[in-house]
Amino acid sequence: MKKIAFVVSVALSTGALFATAACTGGAPGTGSGDVQQDTSGQQEIRYMIGQPEDPADLELIKSDLKTFESKNQGITVKLDVIPSENVRTVLQTQLRSGQGPDVFGYDTGPGFAGALAKAGLVYDLTSAYADHKWPIYDFAKKRVTFDGKIVGVPSQIEEVGVFYNKTLFAKYGIAQPTNLTELTAAAEKLKQNKVIPFAVSDKEGWQGGHLLSMSLSSAVGSNGMDDLLNGRTSWNTQPVVDSLAVWKQWNDKGLLTPSPAAVSYDNANALFYSGKAAMNPTGSWLALDIERNAKFDVGFIPFPAQNGAGIFSGGLGSGTFVSASTKKADASIKFLDYLLTAEHGRWAAEKLQDIPAYPIDTNGMKASPLFKQVLDDSAKIAGGTGDFGYNIDVLTTDVFNNAMWKGIQGILSGQAEPAKVAAQLQTAYEKSAK
Amino acid sequence: MRAVSNVPPVTRRAQARLGLLLALPVAVVTAVFFVFPMLNALYYAVVDFDGLDPTPPFVGLSNFTEMFTDAATWHALGNNAIWIAIGTASPMIIGLLVAVVIWSGRSGAAVYRLLFFLPFMLPGVAIGIVWGWIYDPVNGWINRALGAVGLGSMTRGWLGDPKTAIYAVLATAIWATCGFVTMIILSALRNVDVELVDAARIDGANAAQRLWHILLPQIMPVFLMVLTLTLVGGFSVFDIIFIMTGGGPADATEVLGTYAYSSAFQLNRISYGTVLALLITVLAVPFTIMLNRLQRRLSLQGLGA
Repeated sequence: MKKIAFVVSVALSTGALFATAACTGGAPGTGSGDVQQDTSGQQEIRYMIGQPEDPADLELIKSDLKTFESKNQGITVKLDVIPSENVRTVLQTQLRSGQGPDVFGYDTGPGFAGALAKAGLVYDLTSAYADHKWPIYDFAKKRVTFDGKIVGVPSQIEEVGVFYNKTLFAKYGIAQPTNLTELTAAAEKLKQNKVIPFAVSDKEGWQGGHLLSMSLSSAVGSNGMDDLLNGRTSWNTQPVVDSLAVWKQWNDKGLLTPSPAAVSYDNANALFYSGKAAMNPTGSWLALDIERNAKFDVGFIPFPAQNGAGIFSGGLGSGTFVSASTKKADASIKFLDYLLTAEHGRWAAEKLQDIPAYPIDTNGMKASPLFKQVLDDSAKIAGGTGDFGYNIDVLTTDVFNNAMWKGIQGILSGQAEPAKVAAQLQTAYEKSAK
Repeated sequence: MRAVSNVPPVTRRAQARLGLLLALPVAVVTAVFFVFPMLNALYYAVVDFDGLDPTPPFVGLSNFTEMFTDAATWHALGNNAIWIAIGTASPMIIGLLVAVVIWSGRSGAAVYRLLFFLPFMLPGVAIGIVWGWIYDPVNGWINRALGAVGLGSMTRGWLGDPKTAIYAVLATAIWATCGFVTMIILSALRNVDVELVDAARIDGANAAQRLWHILLPQIMPVFLMVLTLTLVGGFSVFDIIFIMTGGGPADATEVLGTYAYSSAFQLNRISYGTVLALLITVLAVPFTIMLNRLQRRLSLQGLGA
């Protein structure tokens, strides 16, 4: 009898534990509008962001929050800064448990904000857009719209291209390259003069996405990129193979940083700042750091095409979102509203070199020639004039990005061939589309 | 036939209650920190949880099936095997030899102890970052040193070359672990019967014979304990690889730990990551039990200092 009781109690306990375990998947936010709101007079909202590249930027952000607080009595902002590489893990865990930040910065792509929107973890801002008439560019608004709901405020327009050291180019008599052949010739000349031509890093892996974005965008143009990203053209095609092969050939010729798969992004940038490397293929987000660290003139050009100057890969970087489970939705939306004022947009562009996804008045703005160029290019992206490619990884899924990042790392470490990687990209694309 | 107890029933009940009360904290701790997480892991293993959907669909054993047919799992397991073989044997041998040398030495033991133990006191993250700089292909000390002594042709991106990356990280791990092994074995050597060593020396035993036949048997239980810890560490290795290479380049240094992490947190496949983590546990437990039993048997046989 006692044995039976023991077996039953063990079975019941195990069952109870299993049931509890099964419940830990937890449902957090139940969507916008049905969370009991905090109506107290004094509210504190938690604002989570990834650690900025430069500590000076963090100080500027803190001062900006003070400005917001002074203009919105009764609302304080608690800044929560976490390492950028941990944002996804920390954010998802917190949002799922219903303990997420009220407002947070996050990437806008389908693998990022799109996944949160699908799970109902971000606040539906559609009515806030209508109420406040936020002047976000249409193309940017589309990137944060999922299933008909606008869930975020796009906050940065970026472009990916090649920064180059004008002083070194002048020293070795190299003109600004106007096509791929000239760029290769310039790189070879720099190598002969013991300068690393391209400060390419790929230790973290994500840089590979930018390398492909720029070479492919210039090879196939914006329409070609549209076709690839929307499944109208296969990734397992010659232009993709050729765009990957460019990097392989340059790596084999020693035109990139030695062993790029072992070089971190920061170390590659340091090589460029120190003048040991002459070109840095990366995004416009680095312009401010370049200004702060480089003691020479810097130019910024699109990655050249075979027969022309090529096009920049442009697009949106991150955005700002509100948690679906926030109890301070009004205060959070007031904060977003502040971020979208023309005054704040100008401040962000001037101080942080963040290019807002809404029109700002740049008349009389203090800006270096490098940033002025980035601003002008970005205005063309926003205005829909000119031809711009895409930064692939913000528009594709985790599965695709993983295949792309590992594939390019494989190419740069001699483990994979461009044709094989192109085939893997198509497989990953098809897998993502299911 | 049950033994008849002279203890009154009231006392027996009081003893039982006291027993339960005393066992309760351990039971609670075990349930919270072992049973519940294990059941939780088993639950996640049979659903398809993406980290976001609060009601993941039940998928039965398909995560397990996928794991055993996934080439990446076997590749990671192969790297774990390399790590276990080299990462266990090297620090054990180096640590043992260094400990014996320090133990035999007459002076400076404290300084050497500190020097050898220092790496073990450093956080794994710091070790990974610093060694990442040392291995840097452009400004790293190793390549600079090779260039300075005329071996420039041997310079390479140690962490970016798939042929060397896993061994470069392993070398760092061995450097970091040797101090721990040295210290523990050194502590055990203090209890060794020195008269036996002296007698063996008088009988003509050389250093290797004295180590093998006199010292090692006396420190065997401690040696096995350190071996167990190092071996199990080889199955669950994660931090140093994650910091130094992130499992790359292109999976060249991927082990089960990093593969579980990337599946769970980079690809949002929490369930698949859980299954991989369970595999690490399932593989490590038999080795731990086997070595633990061996250690106990040797202790019962009177071996060990």
